[in-house]
Amino acid sequence: MAKQKTSRTVWLRRVVQTVFLLVFLYLFLQTAFHAGGTAGKGIGFFFDIDPLVLLTVWLGGHAAAAALLFSLITAAVTLVFGRWFCGWICPFGALHNLVSSWRGGTNKQKIDSGGYTGWHRTKYYVLIAVLIAAIVGANLAGWIDPFSFFYRSMTMAVFPAVNAGLQHFFDWIYRWNPGIGSARLTLVTEPLYRFLRHYFLTLGQPRYFWSMLFGMLFGGVIALNFFRARFWCKYICPLGALLGLTGKNPVLQLKTDPALCNNCRICVTDCQGGARNGGEAWKPSECMYCWSCQSACPSDAISFKFEIPGAKVVESQNRRQLEKVGVSENGK
Amino acid sequence: MANKVVRWIANFFNPPKDAGVDLKRRHVVSAAVVGLGGGWLFHAQPSERNADANSGVRESAPNPALIRPPGALAEAEFLAKCIRCGECMKACPTNAIQPAALEAGLQGMWSPVLKMTIGYCEYKCNLCTQVCPTGAIAKMPLEKKQKVRMGLAMVDKSRCLPYAYGKACYQCQEQCPLPKKAIWQEDATVLNSEGEKIAVKLPHVDADLCVGCGTCERKCPVTDQAGIRVTSVGETRNPGNQFTWRDRYSG
Repeated sequence: MAKQKTSRTVWLRRVVQTVFLLVFLYLFLQTAFHAGGTAGKGIGFFFDIDPLVLLTVWLGGHAAAAALLFSLITAAVTLVFGRWFCGWICPFGALHNLVSSWRGGTNKQKIDSGGYTGWHRTKYYVLIAVLIAAIVGANLAGWIDPFSFFYRSMTMAVFPAVNAGLQHFFDWIYRWNPGIGSARLTLVTEPLYRFLRHYFLTLGQPRYFWSMLFGMLFGGVIALNFFRARFWCKYICPLGALLGLTGKNPVLQLKTDPALCNNCRICVTDCQGGARNGGEAWKPSECMYCWSCQSACPSDAISFKFEIPGAKVVESQNRRQLEKVGVSENGK
Repeated sequence: MANKVVRWIANFFNPPKDAGVDLKRRHVVSAAVVGLGGGWLFHAQPSERNADANSGVRESAPNPALIRPPGALAEAEFLAKCIRCGECMKACPTNAIQPAALEAGLQGMWSPVLKMTIGYCEYKCNLCTQVCPTGAIAKMPLEKKQKVRMGLAMVDKSRCLPYAYGKACYQCQEQCPLPKKAIWQEDATVLNSEGEKIAVKLPHVDADLCVGCGTCERKCPVTDQAGIRVTSVGETRNPGNQFTWRDRYSG
């Protein structure tokens, strides 16, 4: 089977994910002291579009910052487009996606481990515990909300480490001062250092208690991607669960043409959410709309179509009737 | 069309078999019990109590080390809103805002606390109140933030250089950023180890002026455990964490 060319939609998705990851990092760096005693503009953007933050803060605190209402847009879009947010917008998801793409293994291993399992339910139980706790006034969401987790890890582990590392590196080059005659390496590194110093590095080294712990947690969560692609998104993320529940019946639907599908299950190889096990069955609540399956399908059997999912009830009723007489769709 | 939309909505409650989120009922109940139990346990922690200031009953057990950033809500509300995202810690220009270990109990883990050994609350800065995405630290203009008490500085006479060693030192008084200094000095004569009389200025904190910003503690030449230190008593956000005499006599 010839390897399919990656589709334009997948490339578009990768570009969008990269843009949002860069926006996240830019806003992160903007969260600092600026002239006039102001923090950067729009730095709360990702929290403002996070419906889990809105929900837990509102349930627990009975009031929420008005900007958090932007997350209702996310929820409304999810009603129609499913967990599109996870696959296209979420910067933490983009990072997991990137790391997942480096994992090894044969296609067969990826297919065997990439489908829907009962473990996908874990994140819904996490969500339920978090929401019930919020109702009685305890906000546990922060420990495990993806943007909180990512931002906190960046603040307390990644950025201080990068800052210290770059500082040490440029100090080392400066002291060593390699070169021939008047052509010194510092002629290149010093302007670069001044540039970084101006736009990126902080005046003093940021230091946080527990930064090793945050680094280990962050590294651990990232490393889980080598065990299962997008492990965090599939099994842990309570925001993913909330969007999964919101978008479990989306209007944008994945359709598999049974006449074309030969059940080769190539579509499962790079399925990011584990939303399908091959064939026609599809879990909208797990689908991140990454279009990988559509791109990978050698028979072009997969497409995404807008369809009000009411018709599905009829189909399902038909199925139940068929099951009553002992016939299932798979013919088993 | 309308019919289809109605069925679409109905599908949320009774989804098709293969497409729904097939949670197990006993696991849902277990998760709910964990959330409920955890949530209730939250409210049974000592640090959260905001005792009624007028009752005179010292029910609460405020932690002296639990110094929240300026504008932080009362502890119960604060913990209900804080998502421990770290924005305030990233924004703080002096690095004073640190993730809590157990200062606020296990339930307050990683929430922001001020550590004056690392930094101090800069008087002309309100970045943490600007950046908090959830309102756990309320938005505050600078003039208002400058009047918020985070705690109170107290001189440790056994560690303060003029008190303990008869050395001349004015650091805390000089560094106090308030327009009217919250530290005043008493002219005094003390004996050194040779028995000689030495004129020193002994620092005193004016409890009505001090906002607990920690600049004095950070700048104190006694570096490990300063000769003047801020604790959370007197913090604006908690009427249960005041001098009881102040509550009783100033209403």
